[in-house]
Amino acid sequence: MIKISNLEKIYRTEDVETVALNKLTFEVKEGEFVAVMGPSGCGKSTLLNILGLLDDPDSGSFLFDGIEVAGFNERKRAELRKRNIGFVFQSFNLIDELTVFENVELPLIYLGVKEEDRKKRVEEVLDKMQIMHRRNHYPQQLSGGQQQRVAVARAVVNKPKLILADEPTGNLDSSNGNEVMELLTDLNEQGTTIIMVTHSEHDARYSHRIIRMLDGQTVMENIMA
Amino acid sequence: MIRNYLKIAIRNLMKYKSISFINLFGLTVGITCCMLILGYILHELSYDRYHANAENIYRVERSWRNPETGMPSLELGSVAPAIAPLLENDFEVIQALTRLVSPGRVSLRYEDKLFNEQAAYYADEHFFKVFDVEMVKGNPEASFQDPFSMIITEEVAAKYFGSEDPIGKVIRMDSQYNLKVVGVFKDFPSNSHLHPGIMISFNTLKDPEIYGEEVMRNDWSNNSFFTYVLLPEQYNHKDLEAQFPAFLDRHRQDGGDKPSKYTFLNLTPLTSIHLHSKKDLELEENGDIGRVYIFSAIALFILLIACINYMNLSTARSVLRAKEIGIRKVVGAGKGELVAQFLCEAVLISWIATLLAFGFTWLGLPWLNKVSGQSLTIDSLLRWEVFIPLLLLPFVVGFFSGIYPALFLSSFKPIRVLKGVASINGGGISLRQLLVVVQFSLSIMLIIGTVVVYRQLQFMQQTALGFEREHVVTFPINTAIDENFEAFRSELLASPALKEVGRSSLVPTQRLLDAAGSYIRLGDTLAPTSAEIKFVTVDDHFIPAYGIEMVAGRNFSREFGQDTAAFVINEAAARVLGLPSAEDAIGKEFQYHNRKGRLVGVMRDFHFESLHQRILPLVFFKPLPPFEYGAVSVKIAGQQVPAALAQLENSWKRFSPETPLEYSFLDDTYAQLYQAEQRQGTIFTIFSCIAIAIACLGLFGLSAFTISQRVKEIGIRKVLGADTSTIVALLSKDFLKLVLVAAIIAFPLAWWAMDQWLQDFAYRIDIPVWAFLLAGMLAAVVAFLTISYQAVKAALSNPVKNLRTE
Repeated sequence: MIKISNLEKIYRTEDVETVALNKLTFEVKEGEFVAVMGPSGCGKSTLLNILGLLDDPDSGSFLFDGIEVAGFNERKRAELRKRNIGFVFQSFNLIDELTVFENVELPLIYLGVKEEDRKKRVEEVLDKMQIMHRRNHYPQQLSGGQQQRVAVARAVVNKPKLILADEPTGNLDSSNGNEVMELLTDLNEQGTTIIMVTHSEHDARYSHRIIRMLDGQTVMENIMA
Repeated sequence: MIRNYLKIAIRNLMKYKSISFINLFGLTVGITCCMLILGYILHELSYDRYHANAENIYRVERSWRNPETGMPSLELGSVAPAIAPLLENDFEVIQALTRLVSPGRVSLRYEDKLFNEQAAYYADEHFFKVFDVEMVKGNPEASFQDPFSMIITEEVAAKYFGSEDPIGKVIRMDSQYNLKVVGVFKDFPSNSHLHPGIMISFNTLKDPEIYGEEVMRNDWSNNSFFTYVLLPEQYNHKDLEAQFPAFLDRHRQDGGDKPSKYTFLNLTPLTSIHLHSKKDLELEENGDIGRVYIFSAIALFILLIACINYMNLSTARSVLRAKEIGIRKVVGAGKGELVAQFLCEAVLISWIATLLAFGFTWLGLPWLNKVSGQSLTIDSLLRWEVFIPLLLLPFVVGFFSGIYPALFLSSFKPIRVLKGVASINGGGISLRQLLVVVQFSLSIMLIIGTVVVYRQLQFMQQTALGFEREHVVTFPINTAIDENFEAFRSELLASPALKEVGRSSLVPTQRLLDAAGSYIRLGDTLAPTSAEIKFVTVDDHFIPAYGIEMVAGRNFSREFGQDTAAFVINEAAARVLGLPSAEDAIGKEFQYHNRKGRLVGVMRDFHFESLHQRILPLVFFKPLPPFEYGAVSVKIAGQQVPAALAQLENSWKRFSPETPLEYSFLDDTYAQLYQAEQRQGTIFTIFSCIAIAIACLGLFGLSAFTISQRVKEIGIRKVLGADTSTIVALLSKDFLKLVLVAAIIAFPLAWWAMDQWLQDFAYRIDIPVWAFLLAGMLAAVVAFLTISYQAVKAALSNPVKNLRTE
């Protein structure tokens, strides 16, 4: 599903050049659950941005579902992103001014889904995440675990092929964290490809495969039992 | 989608109440000012357009030029009575022609009701063919041909007859003539360049006692007949104008120069009289297109300042919106969708502001009417051709103020802002600074404008005029007083409260329009001069009544009999006559028009007219009987005004029981000359204050944000030992620099604009340097106070707390 080769990303300021990704090459197959680990500054987030079509590599190839997307302009990237990719963040990133329902509804609005269908799909997803009873609450009125479930609901409401999770349990206690990991595992079992950046060995164990990065390169791959 | 945008916009409005207030308040006030001024402008532009024939009516006007210099010497909005019949005879293209002439002030009596009427005119029956006059009673075209018939407005009818039917009633004019009321018409609307209260049939003038038919047909010199022609649709009036020189030469040739060399006829479209005509003789005081431009500019300035607030605060606030933008991008929003969202918010705010502005406009109109002397109603804004564009205004304002923030906000990199690493200041700060500079430049320009307008007003009011205008009362003379003037005068002077009583054809503050040719002794001959000298006829007491200083020679005096061969001129006249000094003038043989005599005195130059006009060469002489005096001037001993007025009333009643006394203090008349400037000054002040208030409100919001982003820096500085004043100075410095830049930009622009404005005055101030310093200082102080509130708050906060929140 994802095949990157010789991917490079360099950040330049006036007198410093930072190599974030250094000829990175790896592949993720459809239906895989991959964890990316590594110390701070190793290029995990840059990788996630590029995989999420939020950023453009400087060079190298990035095949998404067989299509070369490196060099896509912003409009094309946005189009591909909103149909195929869901995001889950450490800090949930819900819009404070919107209710739970409205937050989850947002991707469908940008997809141009009709209001009736939107309502049905949002309710379906909220039900699955067991937060239906909180649909009219605002994010600040929810616990961290609940907020992250809303974020997961939002990530999956448009049925993406790929979910990118950036330390999804980082702001949660262990029991809420486990719940979120179970949710992701369920989604993966239903066929969604998941790439997760994490510092937590515990979380990484939920994945099929761990890619370890250092200085913008993969240094090791562990296949989980 | 739009619903989602609106939802979040409204929730944001509610959440950030202070910012919302600043934006909403600024835009509301800005749009209100625009609407008020728009109402005024629309009213000014609508003058005389309500007539069905408005586009095809033209006023025939006459002017004179000095044949040698080519300079205009007199420009009137009217012509002589001989001209109209000749025009009708010579030019078939004239479909209708009507004339209107004022008899001046008349006193009218019905039973025990006696009033002086200013708005009375002789008008011919064609008036109703040319203009739209709404009749309430009577058919003027049928009955208005009879001499001594009149039609009156409803207001006048109510004044004289109460609820009685006015038709057929007889009113006595000036104790001499009986006029029969044959019709009642509706008051002319406020947007008309004339407002007759009484129209007397033109045929009345044919009475030899009043004017005489024959005299009227041959009179080329009394150019006070306002003459309007109706031309065919689509006809180019310039074609007719082009035939006027030949017309004048044909009818006016009397040997010597061709009349078309020095006198001219022209046509002014009815619809441009109010805003563009500034003739020496007009029916009423007209508006001024310059004023329309000035107020339009002020309205736009204020709206611009309010829009800039929105731009500044929205971009500054982007820190708070960054997360939302990031999330929207991540879940699929494209740049276009985000731009649309933020524009939607701006339009929403503008909409709310526009609705509020309608309310405020409605409340503000009575005030504007008071200060501008207009009679505007909200109706002028509710006409569809105005209302529909007004409904589009929020889109324009919203787009204008929202587009930059929208582009700025939608360009955020999503992951960076979501991770909180985005530095929002980036490129935005420089444009924000530029916008603050624009705001303060506009404010400083308005302050300078206000100062200059007021200084000029003060200058006009305080300039020594060259005569004593305090405690002088003037009133129009009538036959009863004129015939017994000496007795009337003696009776008045018997009271110690009155110091002097004099007569003249004109009193100071009136326009000097009449001039005649003059001759002066050069060697052996009495040679004609090219000097344009205006004249006023006065009696022996006029000069002493006004305390006018004589630089040489003497005043008129009884010691020299009637003294009608004496001329007194001013210094300006002595100069144009080529006399080396005032003393040289005395005794010089002089002829003015057809009167020969000698120059007996030279007066120090004084301002007979307003300071808009230059001091003109002027000659005084005593009229021959029948006297052509127009007014009496009474000098009152200071402190004794009530006693003097009581005495005046008493004597007037004894000598002229048939006309009411209507006097005015010269001081007041003088103040009225500058009413337009006075109003302009008031409006300037108010709008400047509004502009500065909105700009400061914006600065307040902006500084709050900027400072909130520097709390960490402030914390570190405090930990390292900075005290409050250092921090306040640090935070204020950046903003004050902007005010300084604004001042540098505003100064030359303001100087240029005010220099243009001052060109309208013959006597004007030099633009004071301190006005610039004051404006700059004022802007800086107000800006400093605004910022320092935030700065002091930030400087006094606990540094430890600040550092933790980072």
